[in-house]
Amino acid sequence: MNRVLLICISLIIANVFAHADNHINIGDKAQVLKDEGKSEEIHPDLKEIRIMHPEFLLHKRDKTLRQGVRTESDSLKACVDCHSSTDTKNEYIPINQQEQFCSTCHAKVGISLDCFSCHRTTPTPKED
Amino acid sequence: MNKNLNRRDFIKTTAATTAGVATIATGVTLSTYVSAGDQPVTDEKRWGMLVDTNKLTESDIDTMVSACQKEQGWGKETHSNEAQKPSWIKKIKVKDTATQRISNLALMCQHCEEPPCVDVCPTNASMKREDGIVLVDKHLCIGCRYCMMACPYDARSFVHEELTDQKEHMPRGKGTVESCTLCAHKVDKDEQPACVEAVNSDAVIFGDLLDVTSNIHQTLKRVQSTQIRADLNLNTGVRYSGI
Repeated sequence: MNRVLLICISLIIANVFAHADNHINIGDKAQVLKDEGKSEEIHPDLKEIRIMHPEFLLHKRDKTLRQGVRTESDSLKACVDCHSSTDTKNEYIPINQQEQFCSTCHAKVGISLDCFSCHRTTPTPKED
Repeated sequence: MNKNLNRRDFIKTTAATTAGVATIATGVTLSTYVSAGDQPVTDEKRWGMLVDTNKLTESDIDTMVSACQKEQGWGKETHSNEAQKPSWIKKIKVKDTATQRISNLALMCQHCEEPPCVDVCPTNASMKREDGIVLVDKHLCIGCRYCMMACPYDARSFVHEELTDQKEHMPRGKGTVESCTLCAHKVDKDEQPACVEAVNSDAVIFGDLLDVTSNIHQTLKRVQSTQIRADLNLNTGVRYSGI
């Protein structure tokens, strides 16, 4: 009986740590900005952006599409640009793939991520 | 300080100062407008295009089509058949049955003032911007394709397959309708649509139809031009001359 209990407890603890690790990947450019201490200039309140980002994006999409306002703030393009990671070959990994910035939280809370059935999932590589 | 300032001098000084401030203020307003894409578009402009079929060669039309494909990222669909493949701009041959004269046209969304696609859309996805550009809001599009049926120019396409690697400025996805956007993303940055840039002659002119100083306004005033299916009274933004 004790052995079963021990296994159960270790599984639960492992699960907690696994989830903690998942949230480390915030993307290449975002990580640089965070290390430089500049992330607060973009997101002054982390709680706000975590809770409100769907509303911000919804508001911005109508402004861009219907009114032609093409500023960077709250644009999905800017989100993807900062929060994308690169692999060992220095190529961008789609942001909606497992373990990437968008998908980690969305998978955890069980909310489907619909943006990327149409929107580009990686920043555009710069033309040389 | 001049203590003997009389009424006349006072009025002179005040007038000069006011004029100065007004001049600066005008400058400030102008500089705000220069940074395009920051402000919502208004109905002070109406974007339009004039295609001169006498000057436009067949290879020019091919150039326009490939420029559009490159800019907007369509034309690489592998799972769709010929009837299903998107076509935002196409080459059309028109033959006058009486004279046998053949004209080549580049036909795309005509950006009507009274767009039938907007009238029939059940979700408000089909919409017209204040500056006359007709677009599909794919966030709201349910893929019913009423707009495709309503369009007299067959200008709209339906995406039949899942897509990846779209352009950043042009999200495209399975189950939604799409068409020429008059390169709204470029126009908002004070640039010209990709197809107009690709043609090196003045066979295609793009500009503000309401601006009396613009090339397109002046040319439309000078030369004979027509709207395709003008009988429908849609007042299209894209006009043709030479047909």
